[in-house]
Amino acid sequence: MLIRNLLNAALLSGAMITAAHAQTVGPAGETATPSAEIKLSDSDIASLKGKGYKAALLWHTSSDFINAVSAGAKDEFAKAGVDVVVTTDAGFDAARQRSDIETALAAKPNVILALPLDPTTSAEAFKQAVTDGTKLVFLSNLPAGYKQGTDYAAIVTDDLFQMGKQAADALAKSIGGKGKVGYIFHDASYYVTNQRDQAFKTTIEKDYPDIKIVAEQGISDPARAEELANAMLLQNPDLDGIYVTWAEPAEGVLSALRGAGNTKTKIVTLDLSEPAALDMVKGGNVVALVADKAYELGQTMAATGLKALLGQETPAFIVAPALTVTKADVSEGWKQSLNRDAPQSVLDAAK
Amino acid sequence: MSSAPSNAANPAMSMISRINIQQYVVYVGFLAIFLFFAVVLKDSGFLTVRNLSNIVLQTAPITIMAIGMVFVLSAGEIDLSIGSTVAVAALSAAVTMNAYGMIAGIAAGIGAGVAIGLVNGLLVAYVRLPSFLVTLATLGLFAGVARSLTNLRSIPVTDSTFTGFFGSGSLLGIPSLIWWTVIAIIAGHLIFRETKFGAHVLATGDNARAASVSGIPVPRIRLAVLVISGALAGLAGLLYAGRLQAAKYTLGETDLMTVIAAVIVGGTLLNGGKGSIIGALVGSLMMGMLNNGLILMGLSVSDQMIVRGLIILAAVAVSLREKLR
Repeated sequence: MLIRNLLNAALLSGAMITAAHAQTVGPAGETATPSAEIKLSDSDIASLKGKGYKAALLWHTSSDFINAVSAGAKDEFAKAGVDVVVTTDAGFDAARQRSDIETALAAKPNVILALPLDPTTSAEAFKQAVTDGTKLVFLSNLPAGYKQGTDYAAIVTDDLFQMGKQAADALAKSIGGKGKVGYIFHDASYYVTNQRDQAFKTTIEKDYPDIKIVAEQGISDPARAEELANAMLLQNPDLDGIYVTWAEPAEGVLSALRGAGNTKTKIVTLDLSEPAALDMVKGGNVVALVADKAYELGQTMAATGLKALLGQETPAFIVAPALTVTKADVSEGWKQSLNRDAPQSVLDAAK
Repeated sequence: MSSAPSNAANPAMSMISRINIQQYVVYVGFLAIFLFFAVVLKDSGFLTVRNLSNIVLQTAPITIMAIGMVFVLSAGEIDLSIGSTVAVAALSAAVTMNAYGMIAGIAAGIGAGVAIGLVNGLLVAYVRLPSFLVTLATLGLFAGVARSLTNLRSIPVTDSTFTGFFGSGSLLGIPSLIWWTVIAIIAGHLIFRETKFGAHVLATGDNARAASVSGIPVPRIRLAVLVISGALAGLAGLLYAGRLQAAKYTLGETDLMTVIAAVIVGGTLLNGGKGSIIGALVGSLMMGMLNNGLILMGLSVSDQMIVRGLIILAAVAVSLREKLR
């Protein structure tokens, strides 16, 4: 029984991304609908306005990415005159997420946008919201056993497979398609990073026979990235490149390389960050940042929830595209991903 | 503030100032915060029965751990390891239950808590290491154990008797989490206030050497309070597992500071010799109500954190000022 439950949970979270197809597919094999296709029509907006509809944003953490998603969602809700009455941050704590949901329901939201922390613990947590008839739009993850249409409106996700793959492609390109690389992955049970990390590894192993992953290191506390990178470089001083699971630990890896006077080892990481981008535009170790269209993702989540509220059918599985940002297109990349200008320091250095 | 010098001249004022206001800070603060939210959020669902009962249900594990913390702090020690004890207990219970049934699962959960409490207690009481450092180390140690127990996987808890008894069910129309809270508070209060053991805990925290000279078995008291704290953190783990119908290595990670804040605001001294179980209950409910109300006010997450921090600071400041007199 235990084994079967474990398998079910593992299958569910693994099903969303199928490496064999090299593309992102839904939990039941649904093909992905591009986020750009979900738009509120003028008549949708007209029938939503003045109804006093309310929305809640129940996030798993706070980050630049979540800020951009929230901004997109709030702007889209505002178009339809819908108030965002509650915003929460569960700090990756499953019990707190359950409390947040219960608290938010007291404000009687019509639409909830949320990232369920993991399929197993969130199944019970979101049950009351389903019972209350709230329209649920999930980001990236799905509570175990939930049915589209009756229990939730849609899953919207960034193209996790593409993000990992593009990171692999960018790193491979920067080292001429051959050499030794280090792989620093997120050592925690967290769907988003797990999928992206795995896609990087799979792509290197399948598509680049001349590149070997010679060092692997899991990381759970981004603050320890520098010491982990130091240890990795001590054992493998001739690394051509390092993949880092996301930007915050990449900053630690960067300072380890700088401390060692290493200008040769290339870094590719995920998500936009000012220190990493600054290094990139100055021609440092960072060669590419892979990001997603977070703002568009937020708009799409809101639009999907509102369409469900109007009783319209919504696609089960919606994906916002990934993009690789390099020195050449850093300013454009920031706009596309976060819908705002790149930090001034980055723009100045890019001139 | 300007009225302070006239206190001595005014007999009525000086009498009021002699009453230990600190003792009542938590109750006054609780009431003030409740009234504030009741007025400001009257249209946002704060006063609904469902929301108010949610606050009590959500704080149940915090309250249970706070009872243990009152014993530990009153004895002049501290237990930082509860943050990871919760996860170890919940995961041990879930894994054991799925393999050997409910009773074994409950025993494994509480047993894990007791075992961690014993490790802490033996090191503190008999190896004579400071509890702050011992439990700081075991906090990290058992967080690692929780991660490796199931290799970061969440474990579903499907036994409906268990989930009913420990989190989701109710008896006589009252949710099981409220029963647990009430029973633990009454038992904790009686042991703390009415038994020789409770008096020994306070005497140990007040002045360990004097307590030892007067025949109190100080090492045994220190061991006992840490075992109680571990066992109650284990129970909190079972309540989380019952409520979420699953166990995960992150359970309880963020609870330590909430528990300490609830206990201190509730009138327990950080350096021993004085404590209040009822105060800890009200402190814990106050923390839960604060989280709930600030969310319903529609504040951004950053603003919620800032306001919560300021209110806790204010409550602690008032209680500590009184103690300095």
